Amino acid sequence: MNNLVFGKYIPIDSPMHRLDPRAKLIGLFLMIAAVFVPKSWWVFLVIAILLTIALASAKIGIRMIVQSFKPMLMMMLFLLIINSLTVKTGEPLFAIGTFTIYHDAIFNTLFVIVRLLLMISITTLLTATTNPLDLTLGIEWLLKPLEVIHFPSHEVAMMVSIALRFIPTIIEETIRIMNAQKSRGVDFENGKLSQKIAAILSLIVPLFSVAFERAYELADAMEARGYVPGAKRTRYHVLKFKFTDYLFIFICGLVLAFSIASRSFL
Amino acid sequence: MPISFKSLSYIYNKGMPYAHKALDDINLDIKEGVITAIIGETGSGKSTLVEHLNALLLPDEGSLEILDYNIVAGQKQKFLKPLRKDVGLVFQFSEYQLFEETVLKDVAFGPLNFGVFPDEALKMAAEALKLVNIDESYFDVSPLELSGGQKRRVAIAGIIACDPKIIVLDEPTAGLDPHGSKEIIDLFISLNKRLHKTIIIVSHDNEMVYNYCDETVVLSHGKIRYHGSTFELFSNKELLKEYNLLEPQIVTFRNLLQDNGFKLSDEARTLDSITEEIGRQLK
Repeated sequence: MNNLVFGKYIPIDSPMHRLDPRAKLIGLFLMIAAVFVPKSWWVFLVIAILLTIALASAKIGIRMIVQSFKPMLMMMLFLLIINSLTVKTGEPLFAIGTFTIYHDAIFNTLFVIVRLLLMISITTLLTATTNPLDLTLGIEWLLKPLEVIHFPSHEVAMMVSIALRFIPTIIEETIRIMNAQKSRGVDFENGKLSQKIAAILSLIVPLFSVAFERAYELADAMEARGYVPGAKRTRYHVLKFKFTDYLFIFICGLVLAFSIASRSFL
Repeated sequence: MPISFKSLSYIYNKGMPYAHKALDDINLDIKEGVITAIIGETGSGKSTLVEHLNALLLPDEGSLEILDYNIVAGQKQKFLKPLRKDVGLVFQFSEYQLFEETVLKDVAFGPLNFGVFPDEALKMAAEALKLVNIDESYFDVSPLELSGGQKRRVAIAGIIACDPKIIVLDEPTAGLDPHGSKEIIDLFISLNKRLHKTIIIVSHDNEMVYNYCDETVVLSHGKIRYHGSTFELFSNKELLKEYNLLEPQIVTFRNLLQDNGFKLSDEARTLDSITEEIGRQLK
C-alpha cells in the first residue's frame, strides 16, 4: 500500500511546492490541453524538456516517475494489441505468420502512450508538490463561479478535504488491523477462496467500525467548534497570487499557444 | 537467548527523498522468562522494533534470532506462521481487531488460523477468556457491545489462546482507566509468573515500568541507549537526566526516606517492601 506513488504528496520544500495551488491547477489544465492538441513530436519534446526542468526543481526523482507509470503498463499493452489488430494504414512493417503489422499501428500507439506518460507526469508533479488540503482550497476557488447556479462549492470542497485528510488515517488503520490479524495467523496472500474471504472479513469489519467511530467523533468535534453547513466562513489560510504564480501560468499558457499554433506550421 | 537482535537496521520509505532510518544498528538480547520494558519517546522506534518480532517488518540490514527462527536481511522467510504462533503480538488499541459475531468465536479465531481443530480451538478460547477474567455469560455476546477495558482483555485473550511462548504488548494500558490498567498489569504478571511466558511491554508509563518490569530498554532515535535492570536505571539520577525520564513516585519517596535517615536496602523497591523494612527498623 505504501508503494502507491500516483497521487502521493512529497512533503519537502521546493520552488514547485511554494507555488499557489490555484496556479498549479490552472497550469495543469493548460499543460494537459497542450499535450492533447499537437500532432507533432517536436511539441512533445518541448513539453518533455520543460517538464523535466519542473520535476528536477521539485526534487522528484526519475524512480518515482517510472513507478507512477507502472499501473498504466497493462493499458498500454492493451492499446498496442488493439491498434495492431485494427489499424491497417501506412506501410506494412513486418508480419507475424499471416498477420501484418502496419507502420501507423505502431506509430499511433506510441503517440498515445507518450501523451499518457506526459499526462501522468504532469499530474504527479501537481499531486507530489501540493498538500492535499491546499489542493482542495484551489479546487474550491475554481468552483466558486458555479455558486451562481447554487452549486455548493464550499461543502463539496469540505467533503473532498475531509476524504483526503482521512486517506492516510484509514491506510494506517488498515495496516494496523492487517498486522494484528496477521499476528493471529491470518494469511492475506495465500490460501483457498473460503480462507481468503475470511481473511478479508477480518479486515473489513473492524475497519468499518473504526471508520464510523471516527466519522461520529469528527462530526461532534466540528459541531463543537461551531461548524454549520452553508454558513459563511472566513479562512485562516488565505491564498495569495505572487509574481512567480503569474509567471508559471503565463509559461503554461505559452506552451498551450505554441502547441495549438504547431498544428498549422509543423 | 530467546530473542537476539544483531546489528539490525530498518529504513522506512527506502529510496524516497524522505527515507527515514527507524532502527539503527540494534544489538539487543532479551532474556527468557523475564518481563522486559521498552521505553522511549514517540518516534524513537519502539513499535518498529516490536513489529520485527513477528516478521511484520523484515530487517534491511543485520539479523534477528527469535527462539529457533533466524531472520536475516534480504532473505525470504518461510516460517512466518509458526513464528507468529510462538510470538504473540498485542497491538496498541488492540480492541479494534475484534470482528467475529461472538466473543468466544473471536478468541478462537487465532488458534483456528494456526490449524487447531474447531472443538479444541473453542476450548482454548474459553480457557484464555477465563485467564483474562471474562465471565462465561459474555461468551455469546458480540465483542462490539463490550466496554473498552473488556474489549481489550478479549483481544489479549485472542493472543493468549494461540499459546505463544513470547507475548509482546504495545502500550497495553493506553486509554484505560486505572482499574482497567491494573487488570491488564495483573494479567501479564500472572502470565509471566504462573505460565513462565517471556513478556515484552512497550510503554510510556514509567510508574508501571518501574513497579512491574524486571529489565528496561531505552530507545532513542532508533538506537539503544540503555539495557539492564529497571531498578538501576530508575534509581540513578544521572541516567534519568541523560535519557530525559521522569523519576517514579516511589523512587522519589525512597530517596526522601533515605535523606531523612532511614536505611533501606536495594531490595526495598516497591511500596510494600519499603513499608516492611521500615516497620522492622522501628520495632
